[in-house]
Amino acid sequence: MALYLSIFTQILITIVAVSGVYVLTGLTGMFSLGQAAFMAVGSYASGILVVKLGVPFPLACVLAVIIAVAIGYVVGFPTVRLRRDYISLVTLGFGEAITALLNRATKLTGGASGFIGIPKKTTFLMALLSAIAAIALVSWFKTSKYGRQCIAVRSDELAAKAMGINVPKVKMTAFLFSVAVTAFSGCLYAFYITYVDPTIFGWKKSADWVIMVFFGGVNSLTGSVAGAFILSGLPELLRSLDQYRSIIYAILVLLIINFKPSGIFGEWELTFGNLKKLGSRRSRKALKEGKN
Amino acid sequence: MALLEVKNIHKSFGGVKAIQDFSLEANPGEIHGIIGPNGAGKTTIFNVISGVYAADQGSVTLDSKNITKMEQHMITREGMGRTFQNIRLFKGLNVLENVLCAFDPQSKYSIVGGLLPTPKRRSEEKRGREICEHFLEMVGMTAFLNERPENLAYGMQRRVEIARALTCNPKVLLLDEPAAGLNPTEVAELTELIQRLSKEIGFAILLIEHRLELVMSISHQIHVQNFGKTIAVGTPAEVQHNPEVIEAYLGKEE
Repeated sequence: MALYLSIFTQILITIVAVSGVYVLTGLTGMFSLGQAAFMAVGSYASGILVVKLGVPFPLACVLAVIIAVAIGYVVGFPTVRLRRDYISLVTLGFGEAITALLNRATKLTGGASGFIGIPKKTTFLMALLSAIAAIALVSWFKTSKYGRQCIAVRSDELAAKAMGINVPKVKMTAFLFSVAVTAFSGCLYAFYITYVDPTIFGWKKSADWVIMVFFGGVNSLTGSVAGAFILSGLPELLRSLDQYRSIIYAILVLLIINFKPSGIFGEWELTFGNLKKLGSRRSRKALKEGKN
Repeated sequence: MALLEVKNIHKSFGGVKAIQDFSLEANPGEIHGIIGPNGAGKTTIFNVISGVYAADQGSVTLDSKNITKMEQHMITREGMGRTFQNIRLFKGLNVLENVLCAFDPQSKYSIVGGLLPTPKRRSEEKRGREICEHFLEMVGMTAFLNERPENLAYGMQRRVEIARALTCNPKVLLLDEPAAGLNPTEVAELTELIQRLSKEIGFAILLIEHRLELVMSISHQIHVQNFGKTIAVGTPAEVQHNPEVIEAYLGKEE
């Protein structure tokens, strides 16, 4: 039971992070290969604040998110003006730089041997509530004018500008929101595992998240959450296959791109209205089949 | 002073002189047609006026404000609406949401409203919805609010694009080949729509079009472009009898 609870808590933390990635990659069409670095910033900043400076945990989370957003602003400022493909390169470089920095700043971060002695504060309930809150905020964002403008920018930047949309500002808003959510997942992570080291926040983690978003459906938050749930849950349950994780992921991505490029859920979102529609379609189909 | 004043603009791409010394003055209620063979630089004129490209020389003034060097989205907010030659509606949004995107920059709620369903957000979204539904009604697309634009017929997509441009509250509306790919019935409907909009809203309309029956029937003034140069300006009747225009369109008599 304790094992399943632990696995489930970690899945929920991943869901928080991936809902942030969804805002950036799914909604706005920007690929970040350094998103995990913002999780690292969240983890280390909150950890250092609590362990070395004695700041209470909730305040440390808030401060860590603010620090991450400030760094995000500095990284984002030149980046959002670039063409889309360059954004992945800049964020990749930034992410690796953060990892290197965490490795070198031994006094503050413990270097390559990791940062230890973080108290265990994150509970299953806290992770669950955080995941629900993250999903709620992101889905409200999606249906707001901000979300709409993000989709417009993803679809056609030139047309978006011609409609009066300030494209760099929209990209920046999406970027900072996603950074905030991801950094918060870092706080949860650090105070659950109680130990962090720089290697877990490399570009591979960022790439995993992008894969999760694509797996579930790049245009659907429901899909991204489901993707995070399935792809972060599977390796935990099939521990013995851990070595083959990358291979399994690669095969999954190839299958998805070939047979269902829009992901498992496509654009479908889990809402009451859509559930009703699905239900009525099912019953109509059943009725039809019954008649035949 | 005219509402829109385009003065002697030039634009080159490398060695290609796409626009040479183009000038135009448009006032509210007027319809200006811009015609010419393919590659005459017509769309480039629109792109310079609406800020996609900056002019190499010359100036563009909208409502006595110099917009020559402004960013594209700011020019739109000053009152410039446009449609595109190859329809550029947003994928992933339905018809109403597409039009709402043009309202969103005018919508007045902050990021707090972007993350939480605040009362301010609700009232602004409602206001936007009403405005957009009004413009969609004007172009006759009320029945398709929740439809995906890619599922609609070409002519209907054009109408949605026009509704989206109207939502920008334009003082000047740029229509880039609105009749391209439409059948004769649709062209007649479109002609009627453009004239009605011009009367009801009273903005200046600039129209690029290959369908001469459309341009000639509704334009007050026509600019004929060829190889980046203006070869004739005048009323439809004047232009039709201009020997240079006949030459550009039909070739020279041997």
